[in-house]
Amino acid sequence: MKQNKMDKVLFFLVLLIGIFGIVMIYSASSIWAEYKFHDAFKFIKAQGIFFLVGIVLMNFLSKLDYHLYEKKSNLILGICFILLTLVLIPGIGTVRNGSRSWFGLGGFGIQPSEFAKIGLIIYTAKYLSRNQKNMRDIKKGVLPILFVIGVFFFLIMLEPDFGTAMVIVLTLVCMIFVSGVKISFFVKIGVMGLLGIVGLIIIAPYRMARIVSFLNPWTDPLGSGFQIIQSLYAIGPGGLLGQGFLNSHQKHFYLPEPQTDFIFSIISEEFGFLGVLIVVSFFFLIFYRSLRISMNHNDSFGKYLSFGLSFGIIIQAVLNLCVVIGLIPVTGVTLPFLSYGGSSLLVSMASIGIILNVSRK
Amino acid sequence: MCLFLNMEFFSYIFMGDSMFFNDVHTRIRFVFLVILCILLAIIIRVFYIQVFQYDKLSSLAESLWSRELPITADRGEILDRNGKVLATNITTTSLVVIPNQIKNASDVAKKLSDILQSDYEDMLVHVTKKTSIERVHPEGRQLSYEIAQQINDLELDGVYLVKESKRFYPYGNVLSHVLGYVGIDNQGLSGLELSYDEYLTGENGAIKYFSDGKGNRLELTEVYEEPQNGINLQLTIDLDLQLAAERELDNVMSKYTPEHALIMAMNPKTGEILAMASRPSFDSNHYQDYSTEVINRNLPIWMTYEPGSTFKIMTLATSLEEKTINLFEDSYFDGGAITVEGATIHCWKHGGHGDQKFINVVENSCNPGFVVMGQKLGTDTLMRYIRNFGFGSKTGIDLNGESNGILFKNENMGPVELATTSFGQGISVTPIQQVTAVSAAVNGGTLYTPYIVGSMLEPETNTIIKKNEPNMVRKVIRDESSSLVRYALESVVAKGSGRNAYIENYRVGGKTGTAQKVQNGVYQAGNYILSFIGFMPADDPEIVVYVAVDHPNGVVQYGGTVSAPIAKSFLQTAIEVLDLPPTDQGMEREYNWMDTKYVILPNVVGMNLEDAKKALKGFQVEYSGTGDKINYQSPKGGYYIKEGGTVKLMLE
Repeated sequence: MKQNKMDKVLFFLVLLIGIFGIVMIYSASSIWAEYKFHDAFKFIKAQGIFFLVGIVLMNFLSKLDYHLYEKKSNLILGICFILLTLVLIPGIGTVRNGSRSWFGLGGFGIQPSEFAKIGLIIYTAKYLSRNQKNMRDIKKGVLPILFVIGVFFFLIMLEPDFGTAMVIVLTLVCMIFVSGVKISFFVKIGVMGLLGIVGLIIIAPYRMARIVSFLNPWTDPLGSGFQIIQSLYAIGPGGLLGQGFLNSHQKHFYLPEPQTDFIFSIISEEFGFLGVLIVVSFFFLIFYRSLRISMNHNDSFGKYLSFGLSFGIIIQAVLNLCVVIGLIPVTGVTLPFLSYGGSSLLVSMASIGIILNVSRK
Repeated sequence: MCLFLNMEFFSYIFMGDSMFFNDVHTRIRFVFLVILCILLAIIIRVFYIQVFQYDKLSSLAESLWSRELPITADRGEILDRNGKVLATNITTTSLVVIPNQIKNASDVAKKLSDILQSDYEDMLVHVTKKTSIERVHPEGRQLSYEIAQQINDLELDGVYLVKESKRFYPYGNVLSHVLGYVGIDNQGLSGLELSYDEYLTGENGAIKYFSDGKGNRLELTEVYEEPQNGINLQLTIDLDLQLAAERELDNVMSKYTPEHALIMAMNPKTGEILAMASRPSFDSNHYQDYSTEVINRNLPIWMTYEPGSTFKIMTLATSLEEKTINLFEDSYFDGGAITVEGATIHCWKHGGHGDQKFINVVENSCNPGFVVMGQKLGTDTLMRYIRNFGFGSKTGIDLNGESNGILFKNENMGPVELATTSFGQGISVTPIQQVTAVSAAVNGGTLYTPYIVGSMLEPETNTIIKKNEPNMVRKVIRDESSSLVRYALESVVAKGSGRNAYIENYRVGGKTGTAQKVQNGVYQAGNYILSFIGFMPADDPEIVVYVAVDHPNGVVQYGGTVSAPIAKSFLQTAIEVLDLPPTDQGMEREYNWMDTKYVILPNVVGMNLEDAKKALKGFQVEYSGTGDKINYQSPKGGYYIKEGGTVKLMLE
């Protein structure tokens, strides 16, 4: 295989958005950090370390031959399975925000579901590249991989982490879609998925409240609609050019933990519509550069792998943005590269690292 | 963007180039387009939120962020016609707390309740209330300087002292029924304070600042919104005349301890009220200390009673207008009583006044004489004029709580009712109706709407925003008739029952009234309302005054003995206040044996001392200076002075 040059544009796009993320985490979190930890820099110190580690990791993975994952895909998936099982055991997994989805590790938390996302993308990419012909046959080709996905989805929903589970399922299903499975099949899954969502709502009625709050957040402004309203109170007053850097009002204890899921609200408030355009453009360009790599690549595993990883990032970003601006109910997904959270950042940068390696081949 | 989005990109997306992956690439292109559409939808949605919902969300968010420390506006002042302040404001301090900013609620509540000497539990409720800002009401309102200083010294977070203005009436009881009073929130509760509340109330200002979600003050911004003070009211009241009225009432209260007493004065040419006072009264600063009956009843406009003889002015004016009598030529023999349809109506003078011209009937206030005047007019004519003079309906003065009074309906009036109405019995009227009607009778015949607010003034510059102009209701009688009324009433004061109101060298007209009070349809023995209505100068009235004293004790029950002297004393003040010039054109006074005699003082200026002393025989003469010729005398020659009075002379 001929050796290409790494996609430097993608690399710098990620570096830029990562630095912007650090800056915005400072703006969004300093008030809260000062109040809770008497250290305004508490969150960006941690995020800064993760970012540096992420750069090293991204660089390392961009040089590590991705075919290694193809060979070790079963092992990787096995480790993910064990971790996802372990995290459910009280004492090992830690509960945060109502979900037992964390391994406490020193001052940091690690989310196995984030890493399972990459594991599953690798596994699915390998599966699709090996069973290219079988994929026309639903029973032989599609159902086995759907079964694997279903098991992991179930594990993650036990935590429960609906947001990550959605990102994973959407990504893997999209990979299967791309592999050339008949459209009629997806119509069927669509119907089933809808029924599944209804079922999930029946199991945990709080999800219904989230949906209702999405439809009209003002029906319960202090309960389920609270976050959306607070988010809109940040975005709206941002206007075209924003309140200016560090001038957000909503970060002053109105929007809960603004540095994580709702960091986009703070960006909108401080930089206005202009800031929103820039952030969305960054995600678009990252996605576009990644897809270009995928389509330029001839090896089918590398093609599926880079497509899956880039789709995983963009679908997570899209879900987060849609929540923050009130287009879909609150699901609890972070914004890649921008939200505070070590696991999320490392996994996103690792994904880019792998895609960069694909670009070299 | 061009760097990334060139034609190469679109060729990737829309044109397949690899045979093997053709299907896969088509699907990837499809996914790309879907994602592109979603990103566009997101951008459109954000644009919608940030541009189209900008105003709505910004104002909602701002109301979430902002906290206000209120600054109360000063209420408009109330001034007399010369700009003297009748109601003003004093600045006090009030306590407000912002519960979210209070760190140790129980400690703060303890300290504050100790200083205010109020209940700890109540204070704890205030400082822990789930609200953005809490006014500590009422114990924390209108604090003294010392208390405020103590609270300030605590330097507690979330505890604020804000300026609050408090209404103050510098003259206390003076004009209190007209001014009214305000509640603790400076809201008008009665009188002008109530009826002009929307003008007097200003716009409150505020110190606005943004707070964080925990209620702490953000240093970002602070906006000071200046309070807009209320509009000042300038009354038609003349404080000097008002004070004179109050003084007269104080005298009459201590002298006769009547149930009620009132004095009212009006400018007959405009309807402007110059003074309005009554007893019992109250102090607007401490209205809570009085019964609601006392504070709510503004007697000059609220009280209704049989007017008695003062009402005869209406019968007189009507008769003169209708020319049913000639004052000087027609005569009437009063035998002491007149019989109307079997009912005998007695004159107040036992045995009657004998043969009189009608001018004497008026001077003597002879009841049978007025019955005849009424009979000559007939029910319909008399009642038409009475109604035209404003009786039976509100005058429309700009004060709350005015009564209508009661008249007979024409169809229910027989000869007896006509007879009693003619001399002021069997009907019920208010003092303000009488003053307004008599003003019309003596001012040339025009009825004006009485009013008490002269103009509204802009608070900063005192420039006039709105001026109330005299409102002419109707022409009731002709000028010539009015002139005859004035003549007859001047003659009442000079020669008749109103003699006690006579002022030397000034022309006073008037009429006394003695009305027996009715309770449950029965006349009360020995219980009278004694009244006098007077005006001056009698040829061209500048002021009409009405005095009524309800059930005075220890005095002969005649209006002439009780109320006329009060009116005289009041009018003497009015001479100075209105700067009325003396005149020698007035009617000469007729004396009865108990009156002090007044004589015309000769002019001695220019004479030598000896001649002057001769000319001033019968007077006490004091002189100063050493010259021979007199160049100044006081009082001046040509005016009436008391017989045997003192004359001061100055020699060259």
